Amino acid sequence: MTNSVSEIADADCILVIGSNTTSSHPLVAARVFVAKQKGAKLIVADPRRIPLASEADLYVRQNLGTDVALLNGIMNVIIENGWADDAFVSERTENFEAFKETVSQYPPEKASEITGVAAEDIIRIAEYYSKAEAATILYCMGITQHTTGVDNVKSLANLAMLTGQIGRPSTGVNPLRGQNNVQGACDMGALPNVYPGYQAVTMLDNQQKFESAWGARLSDQMGLTLPDMLSGLLDGSVRALYVMGENPVQSDPDTRHVQKALEAAELLVVQDIFLTPTAELAHVVLPGASYAEKDGTFTNTERRVLRVRKSIDPVGDSRPDWEIIQEISNRFGYAMSFDSPEAIMEEIRTVTPSYGGITYERLEGEGIQWPCPDVDHPGTPYLHKETFARGKGLFHAIEYQPPAEIVDEEFPFWLTTGRLYAHYHTATMTRNSPTLDTEVKEGFLEISPQDAEMLGVGPGEVVKVGSRRGEISAKTMVTDRVAKGLVFMPFHFLESNPNVLTNPAHDPIAKIPEFKVCAVKLEKAA
Amino acid sequence: MIKTVQERVKALLDSGEIAGFLGLKEAGGHIGPHLFTPEENGLDGLVLGDWKGPGDARYTLNKQLIHLARAYPDETFGVLVRGCDERGLKSLYVWNQLSPEKVVPVGIACPPELAKACECSKPYPDALVAGEKGEGCAQETLKQVEALGLADRFGYWQKEFDRCIKCYGCRDVCPMCFCKECSLEDPDLVNTGDVPPDNPTFHLTRAVHMAGRCIDCGLCNEVCPVGIPLRTLYKKVADIIDEEFGYRTGQAADEKSPLNILAGAS
Amino acid sequence: MDYKTVLTTCPYCGCGCNFYLEVLDGKILAPIPCKTSPTNEGKLCIKGWNAHEFIQSPNRLTGPLVRKNGELVAVSWDEALDYTVSRLKEIKDSHGGDSIAFFSSAKVTNEENYLLQKFARAGIGTNSVDHCARL
Repeated sequence: MTNSVSEIADADCILVIGSNTTSSHPLVAARVFVAKQKGAKLIVADPRRIPLASEADLYVRQNLGTDVALLNGIMNVIIENGWADDAFVSERTENFEAFKETVSQYPPEKASEITGVAAEDIIRIAEYYSKAEAATILYCMGITQHTTGVDNVKSLANLAMLTGQIGRPSTGVNPLRGQNNVQGACDMGALPNVYPGYQAVTMLDNQQKFESAWGARLSDQMGLTLPDMLSGLLDGSVRALYVMGENPVQSDPDTRHVQKALEAAELLVVQDIFLTPTAELAHVVLPGASYAEKDGTFTNTERRVLRVRKSIDPVGDSRPDWEIIQEISNRFGYAMSFDSPEAIMEEIRTVTPSYGGITYERLEGEGIQWPCPDVDHPGTPYLHKETFARGKGLFHAIEYQPPAEIVDEEFPFWLTTGRLYAHYHTATMTRNSPTLDTEVKEGFLEISPQDAEMLGVGPGEVVKVGSRRGEISAKTMVTDRVAKGLVFMPFHFLESNPNVLTNPAHDPIAKIPEFKVCAVKLEKAA
Repeated sequence: MIKTVQERVKALLDSGEIAGFLGLKEAGGHIGPHLFTPEENGLDGLVLGDWKGPGDARYTLNKQLIHLARAYPDETFGVLVRGCDERGLKSLYVWNQLSPEKVVPVGIACPPELAKACECSKPYPDALVAGEKGEGCAQETLKQVEALGLADRFGYWQKEFDRCIKCYGCRDVCPMCFCKECSLEDPDLVNTGDVPPDNPTFHLTRAVHMAGRCIDCGLCNEVCPVGIPLRTLYKKVADIIDEEFGYRTGQAADEKSPLNILAGAS
Repeated sequence: MDYKTVLTTCPYCGCGCNFYLEVLDGKILAPIPCKTSPTNEGKLCIKGWNAHEFIQSPNRLTGPLVRKNGELVAVSWDEALDYTVSRLKEIKDSHGGDSIAFFSSAKVTNEENYLLQKFARAGIGTNSVDHCARL
């Protein structure tokens, strides 16, 4: 997030797009309700009528994968009406003219045609957002999990820059990070292109810096992303895969392809706290320790580094993951001798500029939001105050592109996937929690009353759902939460896992799969 | 005030009268529940739960006390109480969840501004160790809601309940929710698996179960992520029980709730 | 009697809520949301309120397993680690460091992510380390 969670409570306008906030980030939603109570305008844009929609001043239901068109339409209105922040645009941004030219091609009527959102609603969003003293954007996987994920995010950045709604408290472009430490995993360089602190592996200076810090020769070749690793296993360029705390069999698109890839591995090591469907395929399974059994830190969605503290000893003969990695590294011949997670953090801060001032001692209290370059720095509640990371904010001229797969005669329904309030990701943890398991026991397919009637299925009846990649069965939940022609499934449940159906087509830059859009056919089960 | 409390707790621990004192501790910049034991050196960090304002870092110590008492029924524990917590203790004695012989309350009075914010009927405990006994406050918030016509009032509550994200925090934080099985999880009463939960069934089911139980501590209000004014709802339920049965929860440690039969307790 | 409340951070979503885990004689009883936390201010969602349950699930893995004759069987740590390391060495020697890839995790700590990518890069010699940021 560019800004802090607590700042949301003081926003005058909140645009929630592609985030089912009350389910996936409930304590962010809490701040949305506080802001609303104080009179903020709430705009919700989502193909599903999510619970937050009933609180919204304006709810719009865009067609799947049409976010660029919607945002270009909004920005077209802002420019045409003179609601842009001209001073911000001229002082802090560049490439405005090219962007303006593209956006001029999206008058509200045209945007309406593509998105299914009424032109007058597009105009109202433009007005609420641009005229607010402080407007903030909250988004999540509904924006990113598209073949145009990067375009979608850049369009949100365009909107914030155009109206100067960034670089101040309670504004900004705020991705809500899904997993407790997805921010930290990125910060720590668990990415194929960067060392810790987003330092590119392909830059010689960085390579030399880390070679000297780590006492080893390092590769200057960009590594493989997750989907490319799977392809590599199938074509033999990758022979071994070490999986720590992930469950790709259930979480990745096109399950069959993932299973085939993992089965092709000469060595599959899985380190986890449960025997996941991925672990079941492994040659070696190493039992890690849960968050309650070890010390460490997590970095939350607002870049706040927070302490994790050991409450109990590791269960059975399991071990903290850091100890397992260190032991393997030592036996492999690359020596590590950390005596605690705190000692690891001491090394992290010497090689990661944004964590330079982060020590366990300083993390007592409220934690610290990076960037925090040195021990005298208080941390950074919001980014881009005086200047953007690259200097001037760069406008991108972005054309709308349809999703990779669109409905046709054979596969006439749109399928989108997402999360439920009581479950979490592949539900490895939540389905092993009796209370949460009881709350929602099985998966389902949300379908509109019109479509249910057309197919002759009632609530709770079983339908077969098929795509070009596979077929599954699921019970129906008949609800007007989804529009005619659209169906939704949560991906928490292995028995009715929509990732058997989802399309592995991904964004060319971010490599994020298009979980949010694929085409399916439905049939009442015999 | 803190000094008086420290002296009292120290005396209880030193004399061996209690095995531990369940109170609040400030450590590492946070305030949370803590069991002070004789083995610990002193009472460093003992606080009364005031952080940015009076009483804004209160916790359900009675709930933790039940956990300790269940595991160590022969031990006696001291516990920090305000007026509401003491109402809770008395009621928990009635419901056989705690034994009065095994609990030593160390009472503090709430300052007038906190009493007013809570609209507390009795902002101090009988077992008062520190602080001034303040006046009980009138139920202004409840009066405002009651001033609405029936349809408006129903609409008001429906709108509030509509925000519910079903965290069950109101139940989980409640010192008076000690049932092994909870009606809120009974699929015959409440539809599971969706948010918001059945409106108004979910919240009215809980409200009914608060009748004769709620001790008006307000922690449900504080814990609600979406700001539903649950305390106001339960205050109303308590008024009804008072009007119908002349019973106020937690006023006496020997008077059973007229609704005991509902929970099947003895 | 060993009773303590340990302040920690929720393992579920990216909000980063703080709660105390109430621990009595080595068993975790419940989370108590932290009132002084800047992120959750004493509140939690349904997942947070139950974040202690899965830890103590009977389904937890309690020891290492190695596949023998098609079945995963319980082995000692030494055997599991030696097997893993010898296979990694063989594969690196015959196919190079880039034939080995790592999925790190958005569920483990910063320190653990740091260590795994350090092992991949400095130990194995590959930049092929990724995690589920996109999923």
